[in-house]
Parts: sequence; structure tokens; C-alpha cells
Amino acid sequence: MPEQPFEPGRAIAGTGAGGAMDLATTEAETLERSPGGPLGTGPADRPRSLWSDAWRDLRRNPVFVVSALVILFLVVISLWPSLIASGSPLQCDLAKAQEGSQPGAPFGYDGQGCNVYTRTVYGARTSVTVGVCATLGVALLGSVLGGLAGFFGGFWDSILSRITDVFFAIPVVLGGLVLLSVVTSNTVWPVIGFMVLLGWPQISRIARGSVITAKQNDYVQAARALGASHSRILLRHIAPNAVAPVIVVATIALGTFIALEATLSYLGVGLKPPSVSWGIDISAASPYIRNAPHALLWPSGALALTVLAFIMLGDAVRDALDPKLR
Amino acid sequence: MVEAIIEVDGLVKHYPLTQGVLFKKQVGAVKAVDGVDFVLNKGETLGIVGESGCGKSTVARMLVHLERPTAGLIKYKGEDITGLSGRALKAVRRNIQMVFQDPYTSLNPRMTVGDIIGEPYEIHPEAAPRGDRRRRVQDLLDVVGLNPEYVNRYPHQFSGGQRQRIGIARGLALRPEVIVADEPVSALDVSVQAQVINLLARLQKDFDLSYVFIAHDLSIVRHISDRVGVMYLGRIVETGRDEEIYDHPTHPYTQALLSAVPVPDPEAREHRERIILSGDVPSPTNVPSGCRFRTRCWKARERCALEVPLLAVPAVFRHVPGPAAHDSACHFAEETRVVPPEEPAGEAPDDLDEGGA
Amino acid sequence: MLLEVRDLHVEFVTRDGVAKAVNGVSYAVGEGETLAVLGESGSGKSVTAQAVMGILDTPPGRIGAGEILFQGRDLLKLKEEERRRIRGARMAMIFQDALSALNPVLSVGDQLGEMFVVHRGMSKKDARARAVELMDRVRIPGAAQRVRDYPHQFSGGMRQRIMIAMALALEPALVIADEPTTALDVTVQAQVMDLLAELQREFHMGLILITHDLGVVADVADRIAVMYAGRIVESAPVHDIYKAPAHPYTRGLLDSIPRLDQKGQELYAIKGLPPNLMNIPPGCAFNPRCPMAQDVCRTDEPPLYEVDRHRGSACHFWRDCVNG
Repeated sequence: MPEQPFEPGRAIAGTGAGGAMDLATTEAETLERSPGGPLGTGPADRPRSLWSDAWRDLRRNPVFVVSALVILFLVVISLWPSLIASGSPLQCDLAKAQEGSQPGAPFGYDGQGCNVYTRTVYGARTSVTVGVCATLGVALLGSVLGGLAGFFGGFWDSILSRITDVFFAIPVVLGGLVLLSVVTSNTVWPVIGFMVLLGWPQISRIARGSVITAKQNDYVQAARALGASHSRILLRHIAPNAVAPVIVVATIALGTFIALEATLSYLGVGLKPPSVSWGIDISAASPYIRNAPHALLWPSGALALTVLAFIMLGDAVRDALDPKLR
Repeated sequence: MVEAIIEVDGLVKHYPLTQGVLFKKQVGAVKAVDGVDFVLNKGETLGIVGESGCGKSTVARMLVHLERPTAGLIKYKGEDITGLSGRALKAVRRNIQMVFQDPYTSLNPRMTVGDIIGEPYEIHPEAAPRGDRRRRVQDLLDVVGLNPEYVNRYPHQFSGGQRQRIGIARGLALRPEVIVADEPVSALDVSVQAQVINLLARLQKDFDLSYVFIAHDLSIVRHISDRVGVMYLGRIVETGRDEEIYDHPTHPYTQALLSAVPVPDPEAREHRERIILSGDVPSPTNVPSGCRFRTRCWKARERCALEVPLLAVPAVFRHVPGPAAHDSACHFAEETRVVPPEEPAGEAPDDLDEGGA
Repeated sequence: MLLEVRDLHVEFVTRDGVAKAVNGVSYAVGEGETLAVLGESGSGKSVTAQAVMGILDTPPGRIGAGEILFQGRDLLKLKEEERRRIRGARMAMIFQDALSALNPVLSVGDQLGEMFVVHRGMSKKDARARAVELMDRVRIPGAAQRVRDYPHQFSGGMRQRIMIAMALALEPALVIADEPTTALDVTVQAQVMDLLAELQREFHMGLILITHDLGVVADVADRIAVMYAGRIVESAPVHDIYKAPAHPYTRGLLDSIPRLDQKGQELYAIKGLPPNLMNIPPGCAFNPRCPMAQDVCRTDEPPLYEVDRHRGSACHFWRDCVNG
């Protein structure tokens, strides 16, 4: 392949991994030591890793900035809800049931006379905890299993692939109804455990695929030819090059886990009162939808916004890391 | 006195073709390499040429232990290294290094150039004391003609030719005795190709290297090699010193290959007799009986389908010493001059001679 | 003239700036003539061809200025609709990578036949018959049986023949072949190149052969245009260029090719690297790599000087260059 045809697609990406030959190379191009000496002294002269390039892309992407701000806000209020909400989400006064917006309760009161604003703010903690923990668990389990299977291949790889096929066949909500209905503990942990159990095959499949892709690169062969150990090859050469798709999928999955928690709680198998969760609130508010739509509107709005923020973040990260554009 | 540094004897690599999902059963084999012998002497360059799918890259990968041979021996300084593993293998690896074809996939995009070239020292800590490594990496960059200040840059900041130099520097780091170069310039532009070839030639002298140089481009192989082996469908069909192969080829495949090379001179072409082969290379899963080349050979007769020709000096030349008397695996070997005799050089203008990497 | 490109400029807007891919290219191809456009990656040779074919991606590409006259009409002024009618029927393109240029889920017969169905309004059955005819013509053995096969069932050489058949299906007046043999093995390269040259003579069409390989060009071209950093640096009949190149870049390219018939000591190598298209050196773009460069080369961009009636060279010192 002595000729790399001019590819405009690569040109947009600028400083990519693959197609940096023609347009994409910056002044570094001239560093070949010609008798004129190195000329690369411009701003492009500093070393730039692909991660720092991705970060530079992200910062310029308004979608990323907006979604990151929303997520940051969510994280802050789930850590310290009392910063913006006074009182307890469990303090309800039936006398105020279904009342509208008023001082001290900007979102009004729900059917049980609980302050919707306070409950919505406190509900963020459940969602963020479930989302983050489930994603961490799924990402860890999935990428380790998938990564090892992809790297070593053979018998265990086949076994793992069949297992993931089985898990893909399980309908998530139905599985949740069945499995979680036998759980008596009213904490987030059974819900998280269920999500990890059902979620890891997706990540494992992605991780396996990207490890197999990374494994075929000549730099892995070069490291092997040098006598590098398996762990070195995996950690130093394969993992950094295979992790991007896992990050993208995990970010998007985080949003769906939050939605799933709300769904399960709505159905009564996730968290149950007196826990605070958007799903519970949506469930509790739905009978009064005609009389007190605000009690339904605010928690569902918060839920939709959160899920959207994570999905948009995932999209922005994908754009920044997409190897096809670089 | 010539001293053999690598001897390859009856090297075979078959990839099994399997069916079934979990319990696989073998239904055939891709005979990528099917009985290859050669010797690499100290300080020389052995060129291995052939078309895609002839098994030349698989040979290269077996030499550096990236693939395990199905059968056969690879000896390094007289010692069989085929079955080595662990520490013994690691020690041998220090001495046999590889330069890869594609400068875009052979460097880890997440590592700096300094880390890439310095990695051999991390894997073989005995090769260089820790404090000395950075200086050594910079020396290596200098040796391959790159600015030593750029150790902290990433591969994507370099062009193809520069990346190939980085790959060469990595190959040199452990001061190996043998470098296996698998199509090291075929991904590069013409003007940059020459720079890299010259660099390889210079390094060979400076570091006393022996090269196995794999390529599909016969003119590049001629330029750099002392001896040449021509491969077809997993076997070497003809081998000899450079002028024996290029000026006195006796195997019809070599002749066809030589005559098909485009020559950048419209006039030279007109005196050239061209052999255009019909058809395509057969699949390595289903190798023809007897001589593998017979399906495309214009000389093929019944004998070719029945009897496998051995790689030896053909009977007709056995008693006639001369350049045509070299190993050629053909029942009907005859000498045909395909490349016109070398024109007297001296046309090269002086004002252009200062180039070179 | 069949095709005349006049002062074409193409640039690409990228994240890091504007890359000037083509900077004032002019060339012409007559009926039955073969023009080889020679250059390395990034020289703009393929971009020019894409602009002629009208398959340039815009954005990021942008045609800044210039005219592309095809049979007397400026293609750049035509509506997309009209250009589409010309494309495929009156000018066709052969790509380097036949496997990715052919649709993997359609049989080759369907793909060849589609040309006749779409452009000639033939029935499916007639189109199939024409497809077999075409495959015979490009010497695919057993065309009648193989017409139902899919692209991946053919070897590289055979696929490239199918590409050629597809390009020639509607007997276009102009064919652009972008590195048609680069992906093929040497022995197959010769077969395909011969076929292409033969069909070109037979159909009396204009052929633009885009390549980086001086060897391939020597064989079939009538004229050669050498491109560097988006410009034509030398344009000449094929024999002249090999005998006495009039531009130091051409000379450097010729000298840096390892030759089958010579075992040299050190290859001549053009020093340095091709320029970054976002930052093309002032004056002559080749000056930082040129052994003959003088002060004037760093300031004044050389026009395409007339060497003789048939030749042009964009070098201030073309006289010194031709005389060695």
C-alpha cells in the first residue's frame, strides 16, 4: 500500500492517530532534520497525546459543556442536598396535599402533602448513586472479563460469548420484576447488584471487541517480539487503546441505569417508600395526574434531564474519542 | 569466512481451518509456509521476495517468535531456538528484532516516542542501567536521523517516513545482531523510501547487522540484498546470490516476476521481453500437486504435476560452473535473461548528489 | 480537447486550519490520449480527479476557483442533476481498492447490469446479457457462470477487471483511473495494465492515469504531469521526462527509484519531507528540498515555463535541470 490516498475525512480530524500524513501533520512535519535544521517552533510544537487532543475537542463542544454542567450540579446536590433544599423529604403534611407552588415549596405538594421540591432534590442522590455504582460495577466486571476473553481467546472466550448471549436474551424489566420481588432489603444495593448482573455482558462484548481490534495492531506484535509479558502488553499497549469505546458505552449506560432504577421503583420492585426516588414519586403522583400534574412533572422532568445529560455526554465523548475521525 | 547466524530448516506453518462454535473440528489447513530452508550469514542481507500470500511475512513472524512453526527448525548460532520459552526465549529475542511494514499501526499511539524506543530497556532491564536510558533513547533518535529533542512527542505528530525511523530505532535499542524487516518501505512514498533504504544500509555497516529483508518489490530487494530467495505459495522456488537471481534466473516464476516489474524508462522497455502470467495464485488451502507453479507456468508438462521439484542446482547446470548454477526448484530450468544488462552508470548529475538521509 | 482543467484550486477546511490541496492546476486530455498524473501522497493528484468527477466531499472540500471544461462545457457551472448524467455515462472512474468500491451484497452481474438499467433504461434480462458480454471483454474466465458471484469471490486482479468493465460499460469518453494497479501483485499488475491500455485504444477514450509509480507510467502514458504540493511542476511527453527531466523534483524521483538492472551503492534520496499543505513554503514549494534552490526560489513562485512546444516546467532553473 504505497499510497495513502488523500482523505478529506481524515483531514477534518486534524491530528489523528491513523491519517496524520498529509494535512493533519502540523509543523512537526518539518522536524525532519534537513540541513535547514528543525523548524517546528510554533504552538503545535508541544507534545500532544490523543487524550489531550480529545480533551481539547471536548472543551470546545457546547453539548459537552452543557451536559457536564448539569451532571456536576446533580453530583453536588446529591452529595449535599441541604445546600438548596431545607427540611426533610419525609416530612409530609396531608393537609397540604396537592397544593400548588408557594413560598417554601416552589414545586408544590404531592398527594401525600410532601414537598415536591425537597423530594426531587433528595431523589437525585438515589439516582446518582445507583447510576454511578452500577456503571462502575458493570464497567469493571465487563471490561475485565471481556478484555481477558478477547486477549486470550480460545475456549474461555467461547464460553463467555455464549454466557453473554444468554444474558442478552433476558428481558431487563421482566428480570427485575422476578428477581427483585424476592428481595426484602429496602436499599439501593439489590438494585445495583441486579443492574451489574444484567449489564456486564454489554460492556464485556464491547471490551472484547475493542481488545481484539487493538491486539491486532503491529505495536502489540512489536512488544511481543521484544519479549514483553502478557500483563505488560495488556496494561500498557492494549488497555489504553481499547478503553475508549468502553468509556463511551458506560457513560451512556449510566443514563439508562438511572432510568431503569426509576422504572423498577415505579413498578414497586426497586426502592420502596420511605426511600426517596424519582421513580417512587412518579409512581405516587400518577393517580393524581389530573388534580396535581406538578407532582408528576417535576420528578419526571428531573429524570429526563438527567438521563439526557448522560446520553449527551456519552455522545460528546464518543465524538472526541472516535478513532474513525482521527 | 562466512559464519551462519540463522539457519532455517524445513520450516512449516499451517493454520488449521476449523468448523463449529464451541467444539471445533479441523476441516483443512492454510499452508502458509510449507517447507522453507535458508541460511543467513553474519553481516549479510538476505532478501525474500514474493507476491502477497506467498508466506514471506509468516516466515518473518516465525523468525521473531511471533508465530510458532508447525514443523521445522530455526537455529540461531547453531542452537535450535524453535521451542524456547521463558527466560531463554527472552535472551534470544534481544538478538533478533523486527521492523514492521505499517508505520501507522506499529507504534502505540498512546505512548510518547521516548517511551516507545525506551520500552525495550524496560522489558530487558539488564540491557541498560535506568539512569542511562533517556540518553540512549536520544542517541537512537539521533542515529536514525530524528531530532533527539522530540522524545516527548506522540507518533501521530510524525509523518510515515519518520514513524518508520522510530520503529527502526526501537528495533535497534537492544543492539540485536539480526533484524527482520517485513516490507519496511512499502507503505512509504517514493522520495521517502530511498531515505529509509539508505538508513538501513548505513545502520547495517555501523552496527554490524544481519538483515532478513522481506519485500514484494524486486528492485528494492536487489538494491539492498546480497542473496535473494524467491517465494511462491509457501516455498522458496529459487535462491542465489543477487546477480545469479537477477541476471541469470532459471526458474520460470522468477523470470516472470522480473519481467513484470515496471521499469521507469520507456526506451529500456522496448528491448525487454515481457512474460505475462495468466491467472492468479492458487489458494494456499488447496495447493496444486507436484510443482506449485505449474498452474500458471507456460512450460508445465505432465512431470510437473507428478513430481515435486527439489530446491537444488538443476541437473543441466550441475557440471557447468557459472552464475546459472544455483538452486532452482524447476524440472525444466533454463537460463533466460529478463533484465537488460546494466548500463554504464555515470549519468547521475553531480549537483544532485548531496541528498540522502 | 476532451477535458481541460484550468487553474483549479481546491482547499479543505480542517480543525487546524485551511489545507490547500490543489493550487492552480491546469491540464488537458485529448480523445484517445493517456495523461499520467504523477505525485506522492498529498500532492493533490487524487483531489484534482475527484473535482473533475464531481465526487469531492464538500464540505470539508471547497473548490476555490478554476474551470473544468469537458467537451467544451464547464462542469463547475452545471447543475448537480446534469453532472450526474455525465458521470458514469460519459466519464467514469476506476478506483484503487476494488473490494471497497464494489457493493459486497450485490452480485457483480447486478452491479454491471445496473449501469444499463439506470442510464440506458434496459430490461433486467438484457442488462444481465450485457454484463456477461462485458465480463468476457475484460477476460474474466467463465463469465456466464461467474456473473452471479459476489465481489469477495473474485481475486484482486479479477475484481479490478470488474471495476474496469463497470467503468467502460457505457463507453465513456473519459476514464479516470486512480492508482488502478497499486493494490495488486506485480504479475497481476502487468495483466491489468495491459488490458486497460488495450481497451483504451479500442474505445478511443481519454484516460487519466493517477499514480505514484514512475514505472507503471512509462509503459502506457502519452504525457505526464508531475504534481507537487497541489501544483503541476512539470508536464511533458513521456519520453522527454525520462530522458531529461526539466524539474529537480522529477529528477529526484527518477533517481531515487531502485532499479532492477542496477545495484547501486547508495540510493539518491530527496532530502526532507513533502510540505504541510496548511503551511506551504513561500516561493517554489519544493525549495526547502531542492538541491538547486537559490534565493529567488524562496521568494518568487515559478510559473510553468515553456521548455518547448510540448513541455512545461515550473522551475526557475529548468535550463540547468534539462542540461543536467
